[in-house]
Amino acid sequence: MTTEETTTKTDDIAIEFKNVSKRYKLYRSDKHRFLGIFSKRIGFKEIYANSHLSFTIKRGESVAAIGKNGAGKSTMLKMITGVVFPTTGQITVNGRVSALLELTAGFDAELTGRENITLRGQIWGLSKDAIAALEKEVVEFADIGDYMDQPMRTYSSGMKARVGFAISASINPEILVVDEALSVGDKAFREKCDRKIREIMEKENVTVIFVTHSRTAAESICNRGLVLEKGRLAFDGPIKEALDYYEGPREPVAPIPGTAITDA
Amino acid sequence: MADARPDISAVFASRAKRYGGTLFGIVEEHREFWRQIFQLAAADLVKTYRGSALGWLWALIKPSVTIFVYWFAFAIGLRASKSVNGFPFSLWLIAGILPWFYISEMLTQGTTTLKRYSYLVTKIKFPVSTIATFVSLSKFYVHLALTAIVIVIFIVFGYPVDVYYLQLPLYMALMFAFFTVWSMFAAPLSAISKDFANVVSSFVMAIFWMSGVMWDVNQIKNPWLSRLLLFNPVTFIATGYRNVFIYKRWFFQDSFALMAFGVVFTAMVLLTLFTYHRLRRDIADVL
Repeated sequence: MTTEETTTKTDDIAIEFKNVSKRYKLYRSDKHRFLGIFSKRIGFKEIYANSHLSFTIKRGESVAAIGKNGAGKSTMLKMITGVVFPTTGQITVNGRVSALLELTAGFDAELTGRENITLRGQIWGLSKDAIAALEKEVVEFADIGDYMDQPMRTYSSGMKARVGFAISASINPEILVVDEALSVGDKAFREKCDRKIREIMEKENVTVIFVTHSRTAAESICNRGLVLEKGRLAFDGPIKEALDYYEGPREPVAPIPGTAITDA
Repeated sequence: MADARPDISAVFASRAKRYGGTLFGIVEEHREFWRQIFQLAAADLVKTYRGSALGWLWALIKPSVTIFVYWFAFAIGLRASKSVNGFPFSLWLIAGILPWFYISEMLTQGTTTLKRYSYLVTKIKFPVSTIATFVSLSKFYVHLALTAIVIVIFIVFGYPVDVYYLQLPLYMALMFAFFTVWSMFAAPLSAISKDFANVVSSFVMAIFWMSGVMWDVNQIKNPWLSRLLLFNPVTFIATGYRNVFIYKRWFFQDSFALMAFGVVFTAMVLLTLFTYHRLRRDIADVL
């Protein structure tokens, strides 16, 4: 810790949210949305998925994002991955982000699994050698045999998820975003994924954001918890206290045996 | 009245700054991603022609059939096939319709790029403005191949390559630039509204017949009408290709046409900056 403090401060920060709000505009119909581009008089409803989020996550921290459905966790994660933009506020993300969120998405259905690996490698700007290495690793991990050279539209969702996980896990992420609700094929493959996630997390300086409802999983992985309530940051502190806050005055939920990260 | 002036210039300055920033952002995305743009264009091309038995030949078959149909209708049906500037009607037709194949692809598919590549917008962090560029580039590769074939056809017919071919790259570049910008403008709009894509696709035929692809804009007797028609960029491009292949005229000889295209192109860029600035951050929310 003392050595880290001597380095520059910005180097220490993996993710920083400064007063971040995300507003979704709900129009009555697509027609109104279209007209709304050109006229400010077209009315719409505002939904704030996130409002005034401010927090800093240091490099190497493992943070659990806790909250009910609709609390704004997904929107927050999408903003971290850079797919969704905040309406107001500032987000700083330092490092390569890998998101294990929707594993079956993000592929070109017309291209084969192998071509999709290459495509992703190219989008990340990898060199030819690095792409070849990535391909080897993904093919090995996904283990879907001859389907690797078939168009992805012919894949089952399980096969897509296998390739998706293998790609996301193979880029040596500096920031890993994991959704607990990740369902990755059969039991054997899930266990393989669990091991892989832990292997990545054990690496030094990998920052982990972990979305969960499970106390045991959260406690086994994270040392800090962010509790979201209706888009706001309701609690930010040590994981135990965060979980206590989230579970509130209710009867504590019986701990789920085992500490699987992914569940079916 | 005295107070109104600085107000307007302040508004103008803030607009200029905002759209300047948007333009700078788009240019930056392209600069950082130029290598990927070429790679994705290649992937797009492979995807388009794979899975069919004839594969690449389709890039050739479709234009050939179209040219034959128009030639048949005009030369055989309407008997309207007089030679132009010493060139047979069929070559005149080919020269003008050559850019149309790229243009029509960009009008229809260029409008729906973001929908077809929605996974690049909503699932991966990706510079969205470059999607229009690599799709356009993929179509442009096909155009280059077609142009090469057309040049061969002209040579076979006994019309060798001459000095006027030097301006061909210029017309190609202008066409590529204009319709790439068009795609950047149209794709976000059609991502938001299904109507927009429908409007465009139902107007493609109208644009084809109202542009100087099947007739010569310089033959129109009313000088006002012929000048007005030059503001249509499709007319400008089609006439430009004929300047190269048939009319043997230089692009600077018709300075009005060049000026009209410049005006429309500038307007297109401004319109694109306006909508792109408005929509860039919302595209992922609606796709």
